[in-house]
Amino acid sequence: MKHASFGSSLAIVLSVAAIGGLSLTLLSSYWIFLLTAVFVVGIALQSLGIVAGRTGMISLCQMSFAGVGAWTTGYLNVAGFPGGLPVWILIGGLAAVPVGVAIGLPALRLRGINLAIVTLGFAAAFDTVLATITFPGQTSFNQVARPALFDSDEGYFLFVLVVYAVIAVALEVVSRTRLGAAWLAVRHSERAAAAVGVSVPGAKLSAFAISAFIAGISGGLLAGYLGTLVSDNFSMMQSLALFAVATMTGAHYVHGSIAGGVLIALFPELMRRLNLPQDLGAVVFALGAVQALSTGESMAEALMRLFRRLFPRAVEAPPLLDEASLPKPAVAETSASALDVSSLTVRYGSVIALDKVDITIPQRTVVGLVGPNGAGKSTLVDAVAGFLPTYEGSARLAGAPLDGLSPRRRARRGLRRTWQTTRIAPELDVGQYVQLASGGVSAHELDALLAWLECPAASTPIAFVDAGTRRLLDIAGAIAARPQVLLLDEPAAGQSYAEAVKLGQRIAEIPSLFGSAVLLIEHDMDIVRQACSTVTVLDFGRVIASGPPQEVLDLPAVRKAYMGVDGEAEAAA
Amino acid sequence: MDGLLTAATAGLSAGGAYAILGVCAVFTYRLVAVVNFTGAAIGATGAFAMVALIEAGMAQFPAIVLGVLAGTLTATAIGVVMTRWFSGATASTKAAVTAALLVGMIAVGLRLTGGQDAHLFPAVAPGSAFRFAGVEVTNAGVLTVILAVVFTFAAETFLARTRTGLRLRALSERPMAAELMGIPVRRLAITVWMLTGAMTTVALIIIAPQRSPNFASMSLLVVPALAAALIGAFSSFRAALLGGLLIGIVEGLASGIDRFSQYRGAVPFIVILAVLLWSQRGARWDEAR
Amino acid sequence: MSLLDVSGLVVNRAGVGVVRGTSVTAEAGQISVLLGANGAGKTTLLEGIAGIAPVAAGRVVLNGADLTRASPGDRARAGLALIEQGRTVFARLTTEENLRVSMDPETGPENAYALFPELRQRSGIAAGMLSGGEQQMLVIARALLARPRVLMIDEMSAGLAPVIVSRLMKAVRRLADEGMAVLLVEQFASLALAIGDRAYVLRRGGVVYEGGCDTLARDPERLHHLYLGDAPVGRGE
Repeated sequence: MKHASFGSSLAIVLSVAAIGGLSLTLLSSYWIFLLTAVFVVGIALQSLGIVAGRTGMISLCQMSFAGVGAWTTGYLNVAGFPGGLPVWILIGGLAAVPVGVAIGLPALRLRGINLAIVTLGFAAAFDTVLATITFPGQTSFNQVARPALFDSDEGYFLFVLVVYAVIAVALEVVSRTRLGAAWLAVRHSERAAAAVGVSVPGAKLSAFAISAFIAGISGGLLAGYLGTLVSDNFSMMQSLALFAVATMTGAHYVHGSIAGGVLIALFPELMRRLNLPQDLGAVVFALGAVQALSTGESMAEALMRLFRRLFPRAVEAPPLLDEASLPKPAVAETSASALDVSSLTVRYGSVIALDKVDITIPQRTVVGLVGPNGAGKSTLVDAVAGFLPTYEGSARLAGAPLDGLSPRRRARRGLRRTWQTTRIAPELDVGQYVQLASGGVSAHELDALLAWLECPAASTPIAFVDAGTRRLLDIAGAIAARPQVLLLDEPAAGQSYAEAVKLGQRIAEIPSLFGSAVLLIEHDMDIVRQACSTVTVLDFGRVIASGPPQEVLDLPAVRKAYMGVDGEAEAAA
Repeated sequence: MDGLLTAATAGLSAGGAYAILGVCAVFTYRLVAVVNFTGAAIGATGAFAMVALIEAGMAQFPAIVLGVLAGTLTATAIGVVMTRWFSGATASTKAAVTAALLVGMIAVGLRLTGGQDAHLFPAVAPGSAFRFAGVEVTNAGVLTVILAVVFTFAAETFLARTRTGLRLRALSERPMAAELMGIPVRRLAITVWMLTGAMTTVALIIIAPQRSPNFASMSLLVVPALAAALIGAFSSFRAALLGGLLIGIVEGLASGIDRFSQYRGAVPFIVILAVLLWSQRGARWDEAR
Repeated sequence: MSLLDVSGLVVNRAGVGVVRGTSVTAEAGQISVLLGANGAGKTTLLEGIAGIAPVAAGRVVLNGADLTRASPGDRARAGLALIEQGRTVFARLTTEENLRVSMDPETGPENAYALFPELRQRSGIAAGMLSGGEQQMLVIARALLARPRVLMIDEMSAGLAPVIVSRLMKAVRRLADEGMAVLLVEQFASLALAIGDRAYVLRRGGVVYEGGCDTLARDPERLHHLYLGDAPVGRGE
């Protein structure tokens, strides 16, 4: 991980240095001036990439954040604030942060659509405000002073390039931390993110705060670039165009942000030379964005796919099993039962989905939960894991009540669940996901665990992993957290019989190896018999039987619930 | 007091237009599940088509008809894009598509209409309707409000009483079940787009003479329109109607007070913020995702 | 040749094979019963036939016409009706509006009311307020009004009281007797076997039993074995 992060950071620094060196030796001042704009826009695109590309929210007011930074920079310039442009830009970035957080707040718990509306509204409002208050120094033609060292166009180009590289490296490092993984997880599924203990509001707000900061910096750089600004530089149309380009090129990738910068900054120049209308660019951006949205792949992603096809990366062999390195149990046995569910009742309107259900999972055991479709099994998992708004009754984890806690808090206290359909962000790699889900295990433990579940190597991108194996990763992540209780919702669905049997054996070993108790929902009774010490049968939301699998599954009531077969029906047939 | 009343009535015609656009936004969201950022741009296309025809010497009435037709065609084109490539996409993706399309539409619109050059929009209903408490109420103001009310009830009646409306309600509730029943899903969706295209064009033709008649600023009327739709929680036509009128009146009041008049463009944003903060009190985050 | 002939169907869900080369048929006037535990692939098989789930291999042929590449809507118009599980009524529409969505404007909802008279009393009530049994009747009646040639019903009896289930089963038998081909997916075997003609049992995406319903109904131990498995721990396949 650290090596990968260092490697890509080095690659960024080297390529930016190469671009800078080549441009300064080969290009005229005119082109250097234009290229500077590419990187200023590139920084704005990177800021949008955090919110839109990484966290999956629509922001249509990115240039307004930049406007806040630019205005602040202009104000500090006019006020003669000490420290010069670098300090002003930094303060400008910081000034944009509260604005970004304030815009993010009303959309924290609502659909992404609302964020699109609120950001567009802000862009419109900012337009009117900026047109009224105007930029500091705009009327007096008070130019924003560049740093003495970087005063020439070539010098300022270098300055912008350095800022660009610093931000790109910083984002590369962040993307490999837990925060970066959390952003991607939130983008892919908020529920799944919460289930592995990620704070969803925290992830969204931090994305907005950092995004606004970087946008503010790009605004400050633009102030130094142009000297004087007008409100049109930060109009709603600019924000919209930035959004379209970010969508088209994939602004959360370094090469995507540069490509986008080139499009925005150089396209008008190209059109001018071709004697074509310069505003044709916006049409291209719009069509490009629609195309990217329909294929689900931005230019940056398409390029990476092509690159991988031309230069296939050797798939790292799956790690070998080293039982001694498996993560050790981290559960303190403070009470006899790991999970106590008592008189759990869930209603959907007038329908009772669960009716006074009692289930106890003793420490270090696997308990099966079976029952026909619609019996309430997944509802039970949702309720215990905290995903239902309300329920009656109580759930206690190792004696401590869970009721009223958010899914994230329950996950942090040691209650983990998996999903019927996998919700792992495909942009992560195997190791990153397990680390995100577990909260951190050593590299040895990670490899041992992956080998134990026959998962691919830690460096494999999730995008290359088939859906059946992703479900195993879900389990690996949950095991690595070594929770008190693990709720597995149909982990073997969609697997062949042989694979399912193998998984069943592994599940049976979880309590002794990792110290967690397991509640297993599974339909294949062979797997249930194999993995579970006791089994509870649900039908119509009620527990109809509970006990050792062999006995319970032969009970007439269970057969009837499961197949509708009983003595009467046989006689009738 | 008189001044405030004048200011409020001045906002009435804008409010009526916001209401129509808001009702259209609710209509599109309820029936084809798209938060449509191009709503006002579609109407602007039709309105400018009408002006172009009048400038070319056509009489007003046929020009209006052809303008509405142009708006309808534009909406249909967008509808085709949305149903062909994005019928299975999430609401967020669909919104992103319309936001991207808006960029292109504004660029093309500005180019074709000559950017900031002024076009003379003929007043559809010039003159003053009546005086109320010493304040003049314009014909245009009365007309837009009446039209907004008519559209609201027409939309409700269409959905409640017609066979197409019935099928649209079924489709919006369970698209898969509707398709499995052999309902022509795409054709119905396109119908929705055509209707909204016609409605928004009418709204913009009426409001254009009172606005800066510039393609971009008319397209951005989508902001107050979405604010109005948000007041109706993207489901109630009547609440969107009232919301649109309210935003127009508040804007009018703001422009009547010297200190605020410059900032009246921020009114929709404040309404959006207020509605969103209010509507998420006590709500958990979106469980659907 | 059968009215509906499904051969070698392969359907993947998110890259995982859920239906693995399955063949089933349905004849006019007969009921084919698809049995199997949860997760056996029954629902996905129906979705593949109806065109909702993309088919990776195999063919769906209705009355000689190959529908494998047709859209769900085209399949529906060709006479293939799927009633999804979960009683997919249009909850905000009234009972009668639900029926009017699918029926010909000329023919009234009388056919539906003849099959399920209780729906007539509920005609003005929002479908979301109906009981589970009434909702199931409504979706069957709704599909019926489009006059399909093949009716596929997924998990008709899930979550319903036995007395309602047996009422529904009788109605389905009546439809078959009037000439419709029925493909009935059920987890609860006994009642379905009692009304069905041909039976298939699915396990992990493949057919593990095919034969007459009566044969299987007479052999509950075999059914138990096919369903729940009773292999010793660790048995491979």
